[in-house]
Amino acid sequence: MSTKEQKQKVELLQGTLDLLILRTLLLGPTHGHAIAKAIEFTSDSVLQVEQGSLYPALHRLIKRQWISVEDGTSENNRRAKFYRLTAKGRRQLTVETSKWNKMAGAIAQILRPAEQEGES
Amino acid sequence: MKRRDRILADLDQDIREHIEVETRDNIARGMSPEAARTAAFRKFGNVTRAKEETREVWSFVWLEQFLQDVRYGLRMIWKSPGFTTVAVLTLALGIGANTAIFSVVYAVLLRPLPYRDASRLVLLNETTPNVGTVSVSYPNFIDWRSQSHAFSQMAAVHQVGFNLTGVARPESISGSAVSPAFLSILGVRPFLGRDFDAAEENAGTAPVLLLSYDLWQSHLGADPDVVGKSMSLDGRAFTIVGVLPASFRWLDKMDVIEPIGVWATNNPEAADRGGRGDTSAVGRLAPGVTFEQARAEMESIAARLAREYPGPDDKFNVELMPMRDAFVGDSRPAILILFGAVLFVLLIACANVANLFLARGATRTKEIALRLAFGASRGRVIRQMLAESFILAFLGGALGLALAIGGIHAIARWIPKDMLSGATVNLNGAVFAFVAALIVLAAFIFGLAPAAHSTTPDLQSGLKESGRTTSASAAQHKLRGAFAVAEISLALVLLIGAGLMTKSLYRLMSVNPGFRPDRVLTMEMDLLERQYSTDPVVLNFWQRVLDGVRALPGVESAAVGTVVPLTGNHSRSDVTIEGMTAPRPGDYPHPDVHVVSSGYAATLGIPLVRGRAFTDADDEKAPHVGMVNALMARRFFPGDDPVGKRFMIGHPGKTEDWITIVGVTGDTNLYGLANPARLEIYLPFRQAAETNMNLIVKSGVGVAALSAAIREVIAGIDKDQPISVTSTMNQLVSDSIATRRITLVLLGLFSGLALILAAIGIYGVISYSVAQRTHEIGIRSALGAQRGDLMQMILKQGIKSAAAGIGIGLAAALGLTRLMKSLLFGVGAMDPVTFISVAMLLLLVALAASYIPARRAMRVDPLVALKYE
Repeated sequence: MSTKEQKQKVELLQGTLDLLILRTLLLGPTHGHAIAKAIEFTSDSVLQVEQGSLYPALHRLIKRQWISVEDGTSENNRRAKFYRLTAKGRRQLTVETSKWNKMAGAIAQILRPAEQEGES
Repeated sequence: MKRRDRILADLDQDIREHIEVETRDNIARGMSPEAARTAAFRKFGNVTRAKEETREVWSFVWLEQFLQDVRYGLRMIWKSPGFTTVAVLTLALGIGANTAIFSVVYAVLLRPLPYRDASRLVLLNETTPNVGTVSVSYPNFIDWRSQSHAFSQMAAVHQVGFNLTGVARPESISGSAVSPAFLSILGVRPFLGRDFDAAEENAGTAPVLLLSYDLWQSHLGADPDVVGKSMSLDGRAFTIVGVLPASFRWLDKMDVIEPIGVWATNNPEAADRGGRGDTSAVGRLAPGVTFEQARAEMESIAARLAREYPGPDDKFNVELMPMRDAFVGDSRPAILILFGAVLFVLLIACANVANLFLARGATRTKEIALRLAFGASRGRVIRQMLAESFILAFLGGALGLALAIGGIHAIARWIPKDMLSGATVNLNGAVFAFVAALIVLAAFIFGLAPAAHSTTPDLQSGLKESGRTTSASAAQHKLRGAFAVAEISLALVLLIGAGLMTKSLYRLMSVNPGFRPDRVLTMEMDLLERQYSTDPVVLNFWQRVLDGVRALPGVESAAVGTVVPLTGNHSRSDVTIEGMTAPRPGDYPHPDVHVVSSGYAATLGIPLVRGRAFTDADDEKAPHVGMVNALMARRFFPGDDPVGKRFMIGHPGKTEDWITIVGVTGDTNLYGLANPARLEIYLPFRQAAETNMNLIVKSGVGVAALSAAIREVIAGIDKDQPISVTSTMNQLVSDSIATRRITLVLLGLFSGLALILAAIGIYGVISYSVAQRTHEIGIRSALGAQRGDLMQMILKQGIKSAAAGIGIGLAAALGLTRLMKSLLFGVGAMDPVTFISVAMLLLLVALAASYIPARRAMRVDPLVALKYE
């Protein structure tokens, strides 16, 4: 396992994870564990996020001011950090979503003929 | 508190809470608390890495990691003071030596000359097949300047010696008569006063002077109102019109400069096309003209002049030289060789430190494997180890620089003047930048390989191993062996270089120069032409000097003569030998002409081959006589006795002043020990009066004591007569080989250092290997291996490394020694004796270095060794 490959993998995850976090927070502010769970449930557990990688992603988004952080109380009455989508983050989500859709569409288009050929 | 700190403050708590919630969820799903916790952690992944990566989002990661690495590196270095001391000292020697030599390289070869756009400046001289490079005839220069288009401007520079008079102690100073455009061609403006005026080129110009900054400081007390004041040179009043800037320098020392018009006034030499004495020309290439184009144009002009003036110009050509080359002269190869040699020393030092690192890396295998196992990336661990090498390199560099700062003055004094060609050696920005580059380079050279090596993935098995005999140790040993081989080959190249230089210098010093330098003192004097304007006055002065000095106690013999062997001042002339068929003008014999008193040959120990030497009876009233050297006799009177034959100075013409040969002297190596003898003729001084002569004295006692007494004699005859140069012949001989000697001394020093470092390298590798193989050796001796066999086994390993290094080194040396050809004398660049003996020497050193660990192997007690693990 070389260092270079490892890095590429992280980068590939990064963008996607950012998008998923933004999408989750659209429903309202919540804390880290809840975000992880939400991603896991809403994708029918297809997307297994290594939960640890959530935190660098969250902080990257805070740094870009797409989300903000505030103190709150978790379900079991503990002090916890709550992450909230900012107006900037909302705009970014639209941009990212359309970008993603475009790319998904494009990839689907590329893959479709191959699929048909495979079927015939 | 900064934003990032505020946000990061609760990260730990946040993550803990996250895992807590996950654990509860798991318990709720029916897991046991323990399993729930484990599952939560598994799901979260590497907690430390998550925290680190989160922090990295907020920080200049590289900077923080760098500082962290530096702190860690410092701790590691502090923990192993022995390793640190050896590594730092090794590097300090390497970097210090490089700093010193580079400061010379920079001063001589790289520092910009103090002229505007110096790369466009060209020095011009004439050449003749008879002699080689000679001075420029002033009328030729005038024609060059008017006929060439390749140069935007051209100036003549004529060296003049002056006697500074009207002061308490008379003194000889050096000066130049220059075309008025001289300074503007160089792009130099006077620091005070004015530059020369174009009209000051013409004969009849009033005597004016520009002073050098140094002379202005030392003799005029840096007087700011010096312009317009008067100065007495050669008993004549000159008006000071300005002062040159402090940074100004020229090929020759210039205390004062005068416009060439002053020199040309009443000076027949200035109008003599055949007169070539101490003049050269400098030109600035016109925009867009290349050096080669300028050369082509000048050669065609020279050819045209040779056709036009066959008498004075036949076979004369022109030689162009970039200004930088003119300054550097022939010291370039010596300087570059030394520079190459110190770089080799540094490489060897790096190889040694790399070996130390590897040896230490072996003991750190476990630590590194642990780090990798805990999730440190390989790049991170390499960076961390590199930080350590950087700290070491930095410490070594700082100490090396300190050594260089301490030694720079000694070095600058130690390097012969010829080699420096007027440049000042000091530590400056360029040198510091070079040291910084060396530090970085060295850190990478000795740090990267061991760091990359210690972190290779298979090393992770180190965790499972006992840490003593790791599976990777074989590969590591190979790398260490490679470093040792590299050290040996580098050391071999240096030693061969030093060997060749030693042999050259030995050969050079055993050359018979044709004279005996022991206990001979020389003093040069230039009489004021004003005061000594007629031959009888001149002759009277020299005769009184001779009589006075010969009468001094302790003087064995004394003479005066126009030339001292191995010094630069030579006068040559075409001669006609009676009865020869008149050759074309450029093919006349062109010997060095020496004007000497009786006792000259005896004082210098030049043997008399035939006939007689000059006596005091060979005076102005006696028939004109001369002597020739053996080469002249062989060349022009083969198989015949030259004594009684006649020759004449110059070409046959109006007057025929035949000179009868009365004796033949041995040949002398006038132009340096390494240079072959040239044609020489001698004339008695009373028949050819000269104002510029050398007093040459052989004493029975030490020459130093005599010098004061001689000065008194001269002051007694003319208290205003300065003595310009005083030297002993031995000093002159030693100066003439100074560049070679310093090259040898430094090469010897560097190769000695290289040899020691290489020996340490081999020793380290072999003793490490013995330590590694203790177990194996124990088994072997338990199974009945003889001590001799064990010894042989270890020595063989050392010899194998040495042989590989010697092989590579010999191949490299064959390619590299060619570069030092110009410094060698009487020995080929591929001298087999030197090559073989140096190779044998290295083999012996390698054997000795392996012998100590081999003996240790022999003493291994099988019982102890087997219990070792």
